[in-house]
Amino acid sequence: MSDATNYQDLARKYGFAPKLESASRLTQLVARQDSDVDEIVRVINKDPVLRDRLLRVANPDAENPAEYSVETVEDALMRNGVGCAMVLAMGTPLALALIKTFQTMLSLKLEFVDRSLTEPLENEHLLGTIGFSGRVVGAVYLRMNLSYARAVAAGILGLSPEDMKDTSEILDVAGELLNIMTGNFKSNLCDAGLDCKLQPPDMKLSTDSYSPVTPGGAMEHMAFRTQKIQVFVDVTANPWHDD
Amino acid sequence: MPTKILSVDDSRTIRLIVGKAFRPYDVQMFEGSNGEEGLAAAAREKPDLIILDVTMPIMDGVTMLGKLKENPELKAIPVIMLTAESGRDNVLQIAKIGVRDYLVKPFKEDQLIEKAGRIVTLQKKPAV
Repeated sequence: MSDATNYQDLARKYGFAPKLESASRLTQLVARQDSDVDEIVRVINKDPVLRDRLLRVANPDAENPAEYSVETVEDALMRNGVGCAMVLAMGTPLALALIKTFQTMLSLKLEFVDRSLTEPLENEHLLGTIGFSGRVVGAVYLRMNLSYARAVAAGILGLSPEDMKDTSEILDVAGELLNIMTGNFKSNLCDAGLDCKLQPPDMKLSTDSYSPVTPGGAMEHMAFRTQKIQVFVDVTANPWHDD
Repeated sequence: MPTKILSVDDSRTIRLIVGKAFRPYDVQMFEGSNGEEGLAAAAREKPDLIILDVTMPIMDGVTMLGKLKENPELKAIPVIMLTAESGRDNVLQIAKIGVRDYLVKPFKEDQLIEKAGRIVTLQKKPAV
């Protein structure tokens, strides 16, 4: 029996959730430096969510789709490079893991929203960073207002927000949230042949809302919200980094 | 005699959540924050079940699992891997060394109790 078949058997035995086909396929395609751009275009065009996200990444200064200067997937990849597609492929498992974590551990339905629809971060906010290196290099940044992070941490630990007086406890819970997200997306990268190692999360309070882009790479800014909580995630990567 | 469960995870948050999940049951919890501490606690306490993370500093979960299986006194202790990493190579490697089950984070406490309950006896504590 092949390893692939074995893995499917084990995934069934252990009750793993199925992986999202379009993101896995896109990661595999982008992982190959000689990949066929037409095939990448086809995969993205088949998935309206991926397509919308790519156009958002390709038009970083636009406030809304009416302001896009890059309007097609082909143009986006031509102008910004295939690395753009890699960031999308990586962002999908991150976003799904974040949404699933909120649903599973907090019974909260977190929605992926356009960043222009969110309130700005408070000056001092929680910032979590996890870098990764190997066949792909980059970083994931998680940002939340401290009051939201306190509510999230209390919910996950089954406490009331008033009990979460110690900021280090809030940072620890948010660090685990970041670990869960990045662990899921690392699996996706490794399955596509892009082996990489995650650094331990760096959690702190910050007044700096700028997330640096990996040299030679692309960046996607993602925003999520419930009625009461907003979460911001930035992911940057260069898939063809030379070690 | 309470069921002995050892939780090995570098995240205090996960150890707290695991401890909370088993609180309604007649369970004695032990903790380790890396593979070295986990091995020492396993040798000392001889738990009925180990719940083990993969990525940890000092000694990771895969190394700890390998060392458990090499030790004649500890190799029969069932292990549930509790990790966010479900990549193919990782899962195949871990399955080859030998685990009873695998739970991917994020998880519901009910899922952990269900998986643990298939391996060890979980008796509800009497209501006070």
